[in-house]
Amino acid sequence: MTRQIRLLTKVSFLGLFGWNEFRFTKDRKKKTKYCLMGLLWLLVIVMMVAYVCAASYGLVFMGMGRFVPAVLVMSVSLVVFFFTLFKAGPVLFERRTYEKQISLPITIRAIIISRFFSMYLTNMLLGMLVMLPGMAVYGIMERPGLIFYVYGIVAILFLPLLPLTAASILGALITGISSRWRRKNLVSILLSLILVCVILMGSFRMGGMQEDQLAAMVQELALVLENQIMAAWPPAIWVMEAMAYERTDMLLLFLGVSAGVFVVFLEVLRHFYSNICSLLSSHETKGNYRMRQLEVKSVRRSMLERELRHYFSSTVYVTNTVMGELLMVILAVAVLVMGSGSVEKMMGIPGIVERALPLLLGFLAVMMPMTSCSISMEGKQWWMMQTLPITKRDLVWGKTGACLLVAFPFYLVSEVLLLAALKPDFINGLCLVAVPAVYIVFGARAGLAINERLPIFEWDNEVRVVKQSASTMVSLLAGAVAALVPLGVLVAMPELPAHIVYAVVVCVLAAGIWIMEAGGKKAVSDI
Amino acid sequence: MLEIKNLTKTYKGGKRAVDNLSIVVHPGDIYGFIGHNGAGKTTTIKSIVGIHDFDQGQILVNGMDVRTQALECKKIMAFIPDNPDIYEYLTGIQYLNFMADIYQVSRKAREERIRSEAESFGIFPVLGDLVSTYSHGMRQKLAIIGALIHDPKLLVLDEPFVGLDPEASLILKGKMHELCGKGSAIFFSTHVLEVAEKLCNRIAVISQGKLMVEGDTKELTRDKSLEDVFMEVIGHDKAD
Repeated sequence: MTRQIRLLTKVSFLGLFGWNEFRFTKDRKKKTKYCLMGLLWLLVIVMMVAYVCAASYGLVFMGMGRFVPAVLVMSVSLVVFFFTLFKAGPVLFERRTYEKQISLPITIRAIIISRFFSMYLTNMLLGMLVMLPGMAVYGIMERPGLIFYVYGIVAILFLPLLPLTAASILGALITGISSRWRRKNLVSILLSLILVCVILMGSFRMGGMQEDQLAAMVQELALVLENQIMAAWPPAIWVMEAMAYERTDMLLLFLGVSAGVFVVFLEVLRHFYSNICSLLSSHETKGNYRMRQLEVKSVRRSMLERELRHYFSSTVYVTNTVMGELLMVILAVAVLVMGSGSVEKMMGIPGIVERALPLLLGFLAVMMPMTSCSISMEGKQWWMMQTLPITKRDLVWGKTGACLLVAFPFYLVSEVLLLAALKPDFINGLCLVAVPAVYIVFGARAGLAINERLPIFEWDNEVRVVKQSASTMVSLLAGAVAALVPLGVLVAMPELPAHIVYAVVVCVLAAGIWIMEAGGKKAVSDI
Repeated sequence: MLEIKNLTKTYKGGKRAVDNLSIVVHPGDIYGFIGHNGAGKTTTIKSIVGIHDFDQGQILVNGMDVRTQALECKKIMAFIPDNPDIYEYLTGIQYLNFMADIYQVSRKAREERIRSEAESFGIFPVLGDLVSTYSHGMRQKLAIIGALIHDPKLLVLDEPFVGLDPEASLILKGKMHELCGKGSAIFFSTHVLEVAEKLCNRIAVISQGKLMVEGDTKELTRDKSLEDVFMEVIGHDKAD
């Protein structure tokens, strides 16, 4: 079975991040694109390592060095959990590859482990990038014994197992439940979004507790931190005890729980796996169509409707791209219910809501627009767009329009709630309404422009497009720059009137949208 | 209806897929495009329908250049690929209505055509089901109906008979004749030489991107079968 797992994992790894295409493509443009993406990743990694080093240095400097492993383990675990939550179901139960694999002499256990393993290895890489710099900083400043490093490296190897298993259990549950319904995708989307809301509300409550306690007990900071980590992710404390106090029993506890939970999950899932996959691939057919009067629509309306149908047919697509809009509403609810002061405390940035709420909403809106992968999502069906008599503007209309239609209800609800909560004067109200709206339009158009330049059409799993493509990563960075730069200006220059910054931002974004709109009369085949 | 002048397409990496190819397809022609795997048939077809760009040459559809008048060309053209990857998230009728919207077909015409074509291909009862539930053959039939919905002047097909059941193949052949009877032209690639011999009034054989032989089917196969012609041509090419 080990050989089967190795082979299956190798095959899935070859497709990851387009590695195999980079190795074998003779297209220089593609090679250059991959190299540029590599540089971008490198930049992100350098930034992350620098951040980890700074945070670790800060903890050691404050005399809380022993918490370095715990804080890092908890951070990695939370990132792994949230990043895998929407990925686990589609990766574990990917239908087409399952149909290819199940006809081969391969055990179901090997199929599950190989799929799990492909997620595990990428997450372990993340664990290394976070843990190793932190350990180095701690090592240089505190001079621990050899055991610290040995236990640390062993812990890194097992680090993603527990959060990955937890995310996979939830992913499997959502997939398993939705597979029994006729409208599988819709049920899966709803369950995923409800889960996110529950988790976010829970973390909001925890965040509030931390702030209150921190304010009240500054001198007992270390104890508070330990309690908080213990409450959020106890295994992080086990790793801390193992590394900082050389406690082998704690390391064994961490390893045992991680491996044990995974084995139990594997054995339980093995019994239901085929059933869930069969249910997912089974479709209800009626076979009793009766012709009714057909509706005649314009080309653009037809494109728009097709785009929306496509969007809501994919759980991965919806759950990953609607998150920013969902957070907008959650933020608005929090401001309405708890007041802006409490929200600022929870976020840990005093005055942020008061001073930069429109930009904060704008940032959430451009975090991950659906257009950033909407061309790639066409996949093998892209030939249709290329051969049909439609202009690029028709395509842009359909894709951008669908993005705006999806964002609009979230925008409307959050604006109404915020206007009711804050009761701003005319100018502030205008900023609150206009700035996020411009960001939403800019995000939709910029996402499409980026995906137009960085499309991928050859993929087996939507996760590859939605979560791992160059286009989504560049869109995320572009959105972050567009929102965080003015946000930084507002925070750094408190005397500068916010309205001026908003006006400049709106003008710059509008100019960007106008520039991107040029060239719309070209045929789609020119993309 | 279709004129290809000195078409040359080289893939990145240096492989010349189509080399100085020139052919003319007249209204009313059923033109068979024959060649072994990797000969350059699909590349030529993808250049005609706008999926690939090309390095040299010109492609004219009804006198219009596919590069400079792409939209006008596409409006009178239809394409059916060898593997019909069509929108799985739509139902059959939604797909056909989408195609009719894109080609701006009137309500009356689309309802009549969908009913008659879907009934003749035997997929009318499943038009309300998602395309993802269709078999390969059913998708192929749906793609054919979608392509015929605007009465194209030029129908381009890549291996159209792969995956079709015998009855559907017969119906498709009938549709092709019907379309040509109305003055349209059909250009299609195939491996099935018997089909090409019986169906096409003109044939071209392509090998390693070059046109090897082209002409009237009856003249080419006067004293031998198309299979003999094909093997002779390919044999010569390999010997060269």
